[in-house]
Amino acid sequence: MAEKAILYDATKCTACRGCQVACKQWNENDEFIPTIQNGVNSTNRGSYENPIDLSPQTWLKMRFTEVEPSGGKLRWLFTRQACMHCTDAGCVRVCPNGSLYHHELGFVAYNKDTCTGCGYCIDACPFSVPRYTRNIITGFAKMDKCTFCTSQGLDRIAEGIEPACVKTCPPKALRYGNRNDLVAEAKSRVQVLKLKGYSGANLYGENELGGLHVMYILEDSPDVYGLPVDPQISGLTAAWQNVVQPVGWAAGGLMVAVLGLNWLVARRAGVNKETK
Amino acid sequence: MTINKVEKYRKPIRILHWTHAFSFVILFLTGLVLFIPALGFLAEDGWTRFAHRIVAVIFVVAPVIYSILDPSALVRGLKQAFSWDKDDLSWVKAAPRYYFTGNEKGMPPQGAMNTGQKAWWLIVIIFGVMFAITGMMMWKGTASASISQWLVLIHDISLIVTGTMFLLHIYLVIFHPKMKGSWDAMASGKISVEYAKAHHGKWYNEITKGKGKGS
Repeated sequence: MAEKAILYDATKCTACRGCQVACKQWNENDEFIPTIQNGVNSTNRGSYENPIDLSPQTWLKMRFTEVEPSGGKLRWLFTRQACMHCTDAGCVRVCPNGSLYHHELGFVAYNKDTCTGCGYCIDACPFSVPRYTRNIITGFAKMDKCTFCTSQGLDRIAEGIEPACVKTCPPKALRYGNRNDLVAEAKSRVQVLKLKGYSGANLYGENELGGLHVMYILEDSPDVYGLPVDPQISGLTAAWQNVVQPVGWAAGGLMVAVLGLNWLVARRAGVNKETK
Repeated sequence: MTINKVEKYRKPIRILHWTHAFSFVILFLTGLVLFIPALGFLAEDGWTRFAHRIVAVIFVVAPVIYSILDPSALVRGLKQAFSWDKDDLSWVKAAPRYYFTGNEKGMPPQGAMNTGQKAWWLIVIIFGVMFAITGMMMWKGTASASISQWLVLIHDISLIVTGTMFLLHIYLVIFHPKMKGSWDAMASGKISVEYAKAHHGKWYNEITKGKGKGS
């Protein structure tokens, strides 16, 4: 089946955060809201950004970046912070029992029931997206992140409808569709932006990590938005998965083979049992 | 006919050994499920991690208690693990033939631990400490992503080294026809004089020195 994707156009986004709300509503992710009544004083962090970070209950949030160029006018940039649904996904690589997997339409889904709560995906994600709350004593935890609206029982994609965030976006800054179509569309949009004078306009995610299933149209370099310019699977992830673990199995297998051989040879050679 | 026996391991060290052995096996199995996708379902909901943590406490606390109760034993043990000499080299050269064919040619007399046991003991010390440090840091869980990945990597390498050598350890004691005496040493604490002379000649001479000829 043709791969699906979400295209986010930062140049159309008004940062209404409707997508944040729609995400929570559809996926039934209530958030603890700090108020004076429940004993928490709100903090002014000097930003519209809220909540301050992703959490097991917040799979999507808008990020606000203020750029003050010398002599120029202040730029207030919006971008989206959520799972990028990589083709070469660090989380899928390190997940010990396949709870994280590639959906047939390309994005990264997971089965929360089978999640062991090891947290390897959290360390392996180049965008530091997955979150969990771990009990410090028992270690019980469950990972959460954007499911591309494929959670069991809440699967919009299987029903042929767009993810909740896309559905709700008033300026149509979020689009859902066949990945190839969206790439073509995004490229022509980037051309338009360049003609309009946004010389730094670019498409983020076409080829990063084998192709992301959430792509961004940006008017400036990704690092201005707080995105990694050339996201990579960390060397540690690769070393661990592709070198250390195979070497470990080889070492264990070799040992078993040598011991088996010893057992056969030592008995055949008539090594006498010693008296105690 | 009575068989003459000598004490090889005192009771406290035997208790420590079996406590540690038991906890290692549980830790080994509850850790291994994360590396075998087919068994990954056992780790669902984190029950194996919970067990891993409980047993990890025993694994770390047991040797600490032992060392506090008997600091001189700790010093002796550490010294033993780090004293290596020419005999160890000749043992390494002669051991493969001995363990496969029973031919003792070139096997030097050994101390309380032979070279192989000493290597295992050294591995237990080094990687036991690695396990404990990386394990406690992972438990705390506040390290940055890249530090966490290092912790997992070191913990995993420790598993590979100790797990592989553990197979060898079990095999030699249970299945190797020549090593049955070492089971007695750790089970009852006593080994036959004959086994002591044959396998731990240097040690046997030391403990019988000044007491006349060992029977």
